[in-house]
Amino acid sequence: MTELSDEAASQAITVLLVEDDAPTLWRLQDALAKAGFQVTAAATLAEARASLTASTPKVLLTDLQLPDGHGVDLIRETRQRFPETEIMVISILGDEESVISAITVGATGYLLKDAFPTDIAATVRDLVAGHSPISASIARFIVRRTQNHPEPPPGPPLDTVKLTPREIDILWGIAKGFSYAEIAGHLGLSRQTVPGHIKNIYRKLEVHTRGEAVFEALQQGLIRL
Amino acid sequence: MDDVAAKPDFSTRKSWWLRASRLLQYALVQLLIVVVCLFALHQSLPEPPSRYLLTEFNAKEGGTERSVTLPHYTSSRFSMNDPPLYSDHFSWPGGEQQHAWSVYLPRFNNGVEVLVNGVVILDSRRDPVANRPDRNTPEIAVIPTSLLHDGQNDLTIRLLVWGPLTGFLDSVYVGPDQALRPYYEQRTLLFVTLPVVFAAWQAILAVILTIMGVVRRHEPAYGILAAAMTLGVAQSFLPVAVDQSQFSRLNAILITSGPLEGSFVLTFAMLFLGWRWPRWAALIFAPGLILVVVALFGDQATISQFFVWLGMPTIGLYLVLLALIVAHSVLKRQDVAVFVLGCAVTILLTCWIRDMLSVLQIAPDGRIFVARLSYSAMLVAIGAGLTWRFARALNQVDSFAGRLVTQVRQAEDQLKASFAREEERARAAALALERTRLMRDLHDGLGGQLVSIVALSERGDASAPIGDAARAALKDLRLVIDSMDDIGGDLMLALGSWRERATAQLRPHDIALDWHTLSPQGLPVHPELRPWHVIQIVRLLDEALTNAVKHAGARCITVTIETLADASGLPSGRISVEDDGKGFALTPDGAAATDKKAARGLRNMRSRATRCGIELELSSGAGGTRVRLTLPRRFPDSDTAGA
Repeated sequence: MTELSDEAASQAITVLLVEDDAPTLWRLQDALAKAGFQVTAAATLAEARASLTASTPKVLLTDLQLPDGHGVDLIRETRQRFPETEIMVISILGDEESVISAITVGATGYLLKDAFPTDIAATVRDLVAGHSPISASIARFIVRRTQNHPEPPPGPPLDTVKLTPREIDILWGIAKGFSYAEIAGHLGLSRQTVPGHIKNIYRKLEVHTRGEAVFEALQQGLIRL
Repeated sequence: MDDVAAKPDFSTRKSWWLRASRLLQYALVQLLIVVVCLFALHQSLPEPPSRYLLTEFNAKEGGTERSVTLPHYTSSRFSMNDPPLYSDHFSWPGGEQQHAWSVYLPRFNNGVEVLVNGVVILDSRRDPVANRPDRNTPEIAVIPTSLLHDGQNDLTIRLLVWGPLTGFLDSVYVGPDQALRPYYEQRTLLFVTLPVVFAAWQAILAVILTIMGVVRRHEPAYGILAAAMTLGVAQSFLPVAVDQSQFSRLNAILITSGPLEGSFVLTFAMLFLGWRWPRWAALIFAPGLILVVVALFGDQATISQFFVWLGMPTIGLYLVLLALIVAHSVLKRQDVAVFVLGCAVTILLTCWIRDMLSVLQIAPDGRIFVARLSYSAMLVAIGAGLTWRFARALNQVDSFAGRLVTQVRQAEDQLKASFAREEERARAAALALERTRLMRDLHDGLGGQLVSIVALSERGDASAPIGDAARAALKDLRLVIDSMDDIGGDLMLALGSWRERATAQLRPHDIALDWHTLSPQGLPVHPELRPWHVIQIVRLLDEALTNAVKHAGARCITVTIETLADASGLPSGRISVEDDGKGFALTPDGAAATDKKAARGLRNMRSRATRCGIELELSSGAGGTRVRLTLPRRFPDSDTAGA
């Protein structure tokens, strides 16, 4: 799945890395710098905001638990101010609690803190290329939310109304461990379109501002004025 | 045993004494009632002033003429021809023209025709009530003033007698209407109006009891009493015509229905007092039915003879039986209602005996019959008592229902409380169990790996594989968390995550992971699949993977997932992990002979497979190693091997 790194392609890509744990920060920074990314590091929310004001990065990688605030706020702000910036959350476990809450505010993927350096660089490069990574457990969590339960299952709230049946099928395939090629084969798609579908899924799960939410509700006929 | 045997003997004797004393008490009370009754009956009714009394009559009967003193009895007969004729004179003070004069006859049997100065002024046969010999109907007639002469006037009374009673004529009063009428009204109230009131009352009770009898079929006592009352009401209201009419047969039946009525009352008493219905009891109805048949087909004389010789003794017999039955019940169960019924029967019996003596002229007392009146009163009392009992039963049902509701509510509350307790207990047990499991899982993987990290870091050796150990610990932490997710029994969902981790794990070693899902749905769904099964299976697969990476030097690992039909045709899942490494020799018991670490890994794999009921198949050779897991039809509920 991963393409071998192409340093020339990474040259122009600026990355803002927000992580309060210094060793983790160094590790990630090393991995990205070696792959040729231009990395700016920030250890707190304030530093990150200052850095964002100074220059707009192509990619934002952020931890969620920060000393002066929560990464979710940073993701939401960045998403609103710089829609072109690709956002990823850095997670220890890749659990749905942290990943889904990041996705609903505008992240389009996650990175495990202990991932191998080559995988870290490849993931960021894929993201820039429009390929959002998704894990089987996250896919499982999303499709479970599309099923009608009398009681909402535990975990962060998630609105899956906008997902199409095809997108749900793709998520089922990922949850069951099928490769993109296998999913594409089963569903009669081109293998290249699967990552694009995943990015669409992330975008549809994003909760917008209040004004947008009202507009959406009007569009779907949920409310009347 | 001796003690037990002695006790009944003692108690029998004691109860015998108790019974005897109770009987004596009851008998004394009844005797007192008889005395009181006789005293009350002995009280004569108020009579008009004696200056209007006429007693000395000239009686002409069967061609003979003699002078008699009223009250006077004549022999019974069944013909209206040539009735006894009583004649007397009275003087009318002509000055009192403003006051009407009347003839007042307090009592007679069975009919009278009254003539003043040869003109008929009263014929009692036109009054149906007066034709009933059991009603002590008085008669009064105003003498038209035009008939009266100053001074001496003739009064003639024709006494019409039809059997079976002997004829009777009580004293006659002639005087101012205003002086006589109050006495007449008094008697009318007592002997005419009161029976009508009783009859009406009886009619209402008959309706109520009929409804109760129909609704409560299993308590026939109500229906029987209703029948008795209906008969009594019909008897009270049916007119008695002297001459033959089209209803005369019906009349005759009703008049002679007394014994039948008695049968009903007796039956009622037996049922009401809880007697077992004996087979001979049907005979109770025999005399009554015989009388009905006679009344249907016999002539007047026959009916009368039957009534006198069969009907009357039957009624008497029934009354005595009734008294005995009630007395027996009083002795058996000390019940106030039964006791009152016994008193009523005693009163009735006393009145009946007195009436019989009067009829037989043994104790002449002016022929006032009271049995019928007391019988009506008794029936009304019984009916009222039954209705009261019914109402009380309804109240009991109400309170019972109320009690039941309370009890049910209490039971419900208790049940709820115990259910909540049980639920709480189950929850606590589940939590404890889950904690134990989690502890074991963390101990097996994460704990060991962390200890290993500590040990490695303390060696201060830069080449120590701390990173590998830490990464393994993280991987295991993810596995534990992941396995606790509800996957709805679809092992494929767990394998999906495992594939991701395996791919990430193999990538640095440059080993390819070849993944084949041969059946479209992958593996069968196991609703009984629990997190600990998932952890064991995933760890088992991890061990296979680790063996391939570390000991076999494989370049490609192939995972095959398929669903096979087992011997009985049911689907069962199979997961195979194959590598293209160098393989190893197996000892006869299936353990690896050479590598110590690999041997431990294989042992672990076997133990995990056993715990989950998985069939583990290992084969190794020059071409590589194959681990094949055949999943059970049903995963075991409890982790017995691991406990």
